[in-house]
Amino acid sequence: MHYESPIREPLILGDKSYHDITVDVAKPVETTAPRSWWVAFSLALVLFLWGVGCILYTIGTGIGVWGLNKTVGWAWDITNFVWWVGIGHAGTLISAILLLFKQKWRLSINRSAEAMTIFSVIQAALFPGIHMGRIWNAYFVFPIPNQFGSLWVNFNSPLLWDVFAISTYFSVSLVFWYVGLIPDFAMIRDRAIRPVQKHIYTILSFGWGGRAKHWQRFEEVSLILAGLATPLVLSVHTIVSMDFATSVIPGWHTTIFPPYFVAGAIFSGFAMVQTLLIITRKLFHLEDYITIQHVEMMNIIIMVTGSIVGVAYLTELFIAWYSGVEYEQYAFLNRATGPYWWAYLSMMTCNVFSPQFMWFKKLRTNLIFTFILSIVVNIGMWFERFVIIVTSLHRDYLPSSWSMFSPTFVDIGIFLGTIGFFFVLFLLYARTFPVIAQAELKTALKSSGENYKKEHANHGHH
Amino acid sequence: MATNKKYWKAFEDLVDAPVVQKLRENEFAEEIPVEDFLGDKQKLESSSTTRRDFLKYLGFSTAAATLAACEAPIIESIPYVVKPEELIPGIPNFYATTYFDGFDFASVLVKTREGRPIKIEPNPEATFNGTTSARIQGTVLSLYDSGRLQGPMKDGQSTNWDSALAEIKKELTTQAGNGKQVVLLTGTVISPSLKALIAEFAAIFPNFRHVTHDAVSASGKLDFYQKTIGKRALPFINLSKAKLIVGVGADFLGDHTGQAMMKEYGMVRKPGKGMARHIQVEANMTLTGSNADKRVKLKPSMHGSALTYIYNGVSGSSLSVGALDDMAKKQLDAIIKELQANRGQSVVMAGGNDEASEAMAFAINKALGNVPSVVDTDHLVYLRQGDDKAVSSMVNDMKSGSVGGIITVGVNPNYTLNPSLGYAEAVAKVPVRATFTDRLDESAGLMTYALPLTHFLESWGDAMPTSKTYALSQPTIRPLFNTKQFEEALMVWIGKDGSYYDYLKSYYNQNIDVTLGSKGWNQVLHDGVAMVAEEPVAEDTNTNPEEEAPAMDLSGAAATLKKMADGAKGMEITFYTKAGVGTGVQANNPWLQELPDPITRISWDNYITISRKDAEELGLFNEYNSAGALNGSKVTLTVGGQTLENVPVIIQPGQTHGTIGLAVGYGRTHSGKAANGVGVNAYSVMNSGSWASDASIADAGEHEFATIQIGHTMMGRKIVNEVSLSDFLSKDVSEWNEKPVFETYRGPLTADETNLWDDFDHETMPMWNMSIDLNSCIGCGACVVACHLENNVPVVGKQEVRNLRDMHWLRIDRYYSSDMNEEVAAEQGIGAIDKFQAMEEPAESPEVVFQPVMCQHCNHAPCETVCPVAATSHSAEGLNHMAYNRCIGTRYCANNCPYKVRRFNWFNYIGNEKFADVNPTQDQYGKMVLNPDVTVRSRGVMEKCSMCIQRIQLGKLEAKKEGRPVKDGDVITACAQACPTHAITFGNVNDKESVITQAKEDHRAYHLLEEVGTQPSVFYQTKVRNRA
Repeated sequence: MHYESPIREPLILGDKSYHDITVDVAKPVETTAPRSWWVAFSLALVLFLWGVGCILYTIGTGIGVWGLNKTVGWAWDITNFVWWVGIGHAGTLISAILLLFKQKWRLSINRSAEAMTIFSVIQAALFPGIHMGRIWNAYFVFPIPNQFGSLWVNFNSPLLWDVFAISTYFSVSLVFWYVGLIPDFAMIRDRAIRPVQKHIYTILSFGWGGRAKHWQRFEEVSLILAGLATPLVLSVHTIVSMDFATSVIPGWHTTIFPPYFVAGAIFSGFAMVQTLLIITRKLFHLEDYITIQHVEMMNIIIMVTGSIVGVAYLTELFIAWYSGVEYEQYAFLNRATGPYWWAYLSMMTCNVFSPQFMWFKKLRTNLIFTFILSIVVNIGMWFERFVIIVTSLHRDYLPSSWSMFSPTFVDIGIFLGTIGFFFVLFLLYARTFPVIAQAELKTALKSSGENYKKEHANHGHH
Repeated sequence: MATNKKYWKAFEDLVDAPVVQKLRENEFAEEIPVEDFLGDKQKLESSSTTRRDFLKYLGFSTAAATLAACEAPIIESIPYVVKPEELIPGIPNFYATTYFDGFDFASVLVKTREGRPIKIEPNPEATFNGTTSARIQGTVLSLYDSGRLQGPMKDGQSTNWDSALAEIKKELTTQAGNGKQVVLLTGTVISPSLKALIAEFAAIFPNFRHVTHDAVSASGKLDFYQKTIGKRALPFINLSKAKLIVGVGADFLGDHTGQAMMKEYGMVRKPGKGMARHIQVEANMTLTGSNADKRVKLKPSMHGSALTYIYNGVSGSSLSVGALDDMAKKQLDAIIKELQANRGQSVVMAGGNDEASEAMAFAINKALGNVPSVVDTDHLVYLRQGDDKAVSSMVNDMKSGSVGGIITVGVNPNYTLNPSLGYAEAVAKVPVRATFTDRLDESAGLMTYALPLTHFLESWGDAMPTSKTYALSQPTIRPLFNTKQFEEALMVWIGKDGSYYDYLKSYYNQNIDVTLGSKGWNQVLHDGVAMVAEEPVAEDTNTNPEEEAPAMDLSGAAATLKKMADGAKGMEITFYTKAGVGTGVQANNPWLQELPDPITRISWDNYITISRKDAEELGLFNEYNSAGALNGSKVTLTVGGQTLENVPVIIQPGQTHGTIGLAVGYGRTHSGKAANGVGVNAYSVMNSGSWASDASIADAGEHEFATIQIGHTMMGRKIVNEVSLSDFLSKDVSEWNEKPVFETYRGPLTADETNLWDDFDHETMPMWNMSIDLNSCIGCGACVVACHLENNVPVVGKQEVRNLRDMHWLRIDRYYSSDMNEEVAAEQGIGAIDKFQAMEEPAESPEVVFQPVMCQHCNHAPCETVCPVAATSHSAEGLNHMAYNRCIGTRYCANNCPYKVRRFNWFNYIGNEKFADVNPTQDQYGKMVLNPDVTVRSRGVMEKCSMCIQRIQLGKLEAKKEGRPVKDGDVITACAQACPTHAITFGNVNDKESVITQAKEDHRAYHLLEEVGTQPSVFYQTKVRNRA
């Protein structure tokens, strides 16, 4: 068995046996929902339905119900899209990259992080659809055989690369997530008393028997999928950034975008994981599994990626000045001092300044501070996309075409609707899925469980 | 030969058997056993339709109904039984005709398709006003205006023409018998045949008066020429002979005297040695002033004194002059100097409607020897004949009850006359009241009879716009409604038989002496215009030529002008007409309402223009809200005791301090769904003069504007390249038209040479390019409306323009100069942030440039690479195509367009109720104006300039049919065709002989944003300003 140094903090607190873990993880699925869940779920559902209404209104009437104009052709739609895609980066990064790097602390958070990934990619995927003027022709973007002769999609277009990148990322993430879920579904199946529940989990668990062959295949598939998913984590946001980077618009036409977007995505993804897990561990009493140490680890990642993003912001400004291109210089000057200075200031404060608090151990191990900061970071990251999209577009080359953008209630409604939709999915997930990858976590119990570590230490004294 | 043959169907029929007789009486040969089926209640109840059967039937019928509903409705079209010889479906016919509405005059060609007029083009045969303006282009939509009166009305009830005309004649005769006056109130009449008919009609009544009323009158000027040259007419201004043009309040590129001078202006302002110089003295920032090389701001009350001062300077006289300040004197001295250097080849034009000013201007021209070479008194323009004195005496007569009958034709006096004149009360006292009108306008409600007039595209007619020009009008469509021409009514009243067409033709044959070859009627009708030697025999009923012209009383005029200057107090207001709406005759034309003002770039409104200084003093504001929409103050305007409520205010760079401007033609209440409630009626505070003093304004709240441009300066960028004439002539091209150069590892390279992409083949096919001469473009907007017509561009209405979602494929950007630039910033040590903020502010007396921008048809187009579905792609002919069917509306192309020329269909403009009042496609008549060659775009697709691809295809097709390559001039885009100054040139650059090839090789040529590397097919010619 893997031996872990006693200096390392235990990953599972308390005197836990395998059975204890099973019981703790299965509890939310096996018990009825508390009142707080119902309140949260109803709120999310209302927001979701409001968003659905706004989407239907848009599709029925036209994109004109949004605040866009002839100069600003994208605003909240693509801002939201990039924001959600960014959020959807943490899960796969945690489960794939940390798996390859054998970071065991991922075990108690990867399930929920991946769920979050999938749910936020669903939100993200909505926007490229509904932002189309003719969504009923959305299938044109797929390179499918058609009756129009040699009519093919335009492989030069980053928007097309987006289609491939997002759909690949979504399907790989979903499969990866599901494979991990199989032993856990089997666990719930085995414990289920009610026949309907048992039946459902029987189907979901794909006949998992826990045999050595099953485990071997499970490990192999996980490793292969992790290998597949790892480049995707980096590629998706790289390609999203190319929507902007390959254009000719000052403020978009920037080679720094791919790494800067990926860092920003991980930054915002971890912030969202924090937001969700701090609530989940509290409500589901999972403090023993999602420990302060987990929170601290993620805060360090937030601090590092936030600083990378900060460096990117400053590099952009420097390059704008250094390039000598008057349009580029004006674009960045306008970002900081033009009509949208407040958006730029919000972005800078939230994304660059606020994560620096995490240098202090006291703050990065403080749950309430972490929770607030995680929300601040996501506000900042939303503004980052807004700043990139709207302030670059609204004043580009010809001053005659300059304009402004202001959202309508529909813009706001759709955004709130996706937040509602996200939480509807997450809340349903939290009550029906094992929120911790218990089967995998159990592999770390004997090496990283608090009681076992203590035992090791005691043996050492003898 | 008629036959009585009877056909029989069976032998029984032939012998007329009783059974046949019986069968004939019954509709159904056999009785239908309904009673058997439903009568027997017992049987019915016992019959078993099971639940299963019921569900089966239900399922079947639902499915059947659904399938049936899928079928498209059948619209029946009826083919010609006998096809008219000249009409080939798909092939347009062109007819020459003449437009005159009492204000605008133009000789035009009308394009008809399948019998529908759909486009107006300038008539190249015309020697006078053969160019089109925005309003002339728009007239074709006014034909299909559902707000037109569709049949004769009496007291608000429908009636018929015969009885209405008979009743009016009878009642008029009765009144005339009682010794009462019969008044005919018309706008300016330039039709010789109509004048002849009026003369005959006048002869019926002992006490007949024909009064001419022009909404925007030149009565004062006409009074002067009446006295001086003995004709109530204006001299023709031969601008093509002028080397120096001085306008004093004369908006001669806008609406001065009806004579269109844009073409000549463009000609004399070609850059090079001998390029004419233009100095404008004015109060408002007019279209003319914005094109001037030098602009002097002066209050309108001082315009007359400025003219006296100039006169004193050029003639050495010492007439008394009003109190001009030193600054003005200095500028006027400079003008005097230049005028003296250009004797015999300069012109001074006075604006307004004022006898003394015109006298002074004429005296200056005379003193300089510009008469008759430039100011041609042997060639008279008749387009303004309104007589303000006659109008007021007519109103007084009506008040006193001495008028027994009034017939108004094509005028709207209750709207265009100042209410203080009391026209509405006066006309109520007239027993017999009839109006010939195109709609139930503000004045029609005061009349007993409202009789609908035909549109000019439905009418016959002739015209004498000048003493040397004769023009004919011909109908291009049968009248859409139950309308008549006024001439037809006159003929009924006079008792003439036959049609007006017959009368017109015989009148022509008897009276019109066409010179320049013996042109017959058919030829003149074909050409639309002809030169005539003399005025036709029929004399103007209004004029009374005097034998000997008296000498001009200049000291009297100077005294009047001094009094004008000294007597002015308070703020001074100048009334003007806008490029779109003009006098308001076509106010219900959504194209013209949506056309942004060339200067302010605001559509769907009129407003007070005010200087920034005055606005700050009065606490008035203009600001953009968070969505980029313009909000501003609105005020209560008081002019000489009369008030006008809720007048919006625009802060106008270049507006003279202490003056305001206000456009007429708005504030219609009975014009139609597009015009009603748009703007305020400036006529209600305007007297016959074009300006007034003693105006005051008081803040009264906030107004929402619709503007399509919110960035007003070029921010120090090379967008409109400009050079002074002296630099242009003396310096090397690299100094004033520098190509952007990139430092690369291969050394410095131009944008064309540093290239990531493979080039398209541009040799095999024609390569279509467009040149836009920024020196010739005067910003008038004719091309914008022409583009609307040609390409079925949707009209989106005030709110959507306000939302910055205009659909114009072609726009004319207007930039002001700013006091801040790189040099000033460097000199004063101003930082970048402050510099750019200051650059956004236009100067108080800015120079103005116009730049038409449409799709640049980039050969390395940023839009083409980003479209995920390849809906926009490149053609082998240098064009950027848009496949509407393929477009899914991601708007990525529009975002990535550096020129921002792509327009997105935000709504379903052809079906959405919000646009029912403004978009012609939603009107049952308005949709007839659509060009059948161009797709009407659906919601959610991107659209943009196609370089009139339908015209290119037609040109290529014609060439192919004739078995030859496309030659220069085969294809012309709508904008190029409409441009009055020929600023736009279009053609094939692979044709080395073509005009466009020359333009491309011109030193002035440059690409907009060349440094982006888009390699556009459109290029611009540097503007040359003739600075002293």
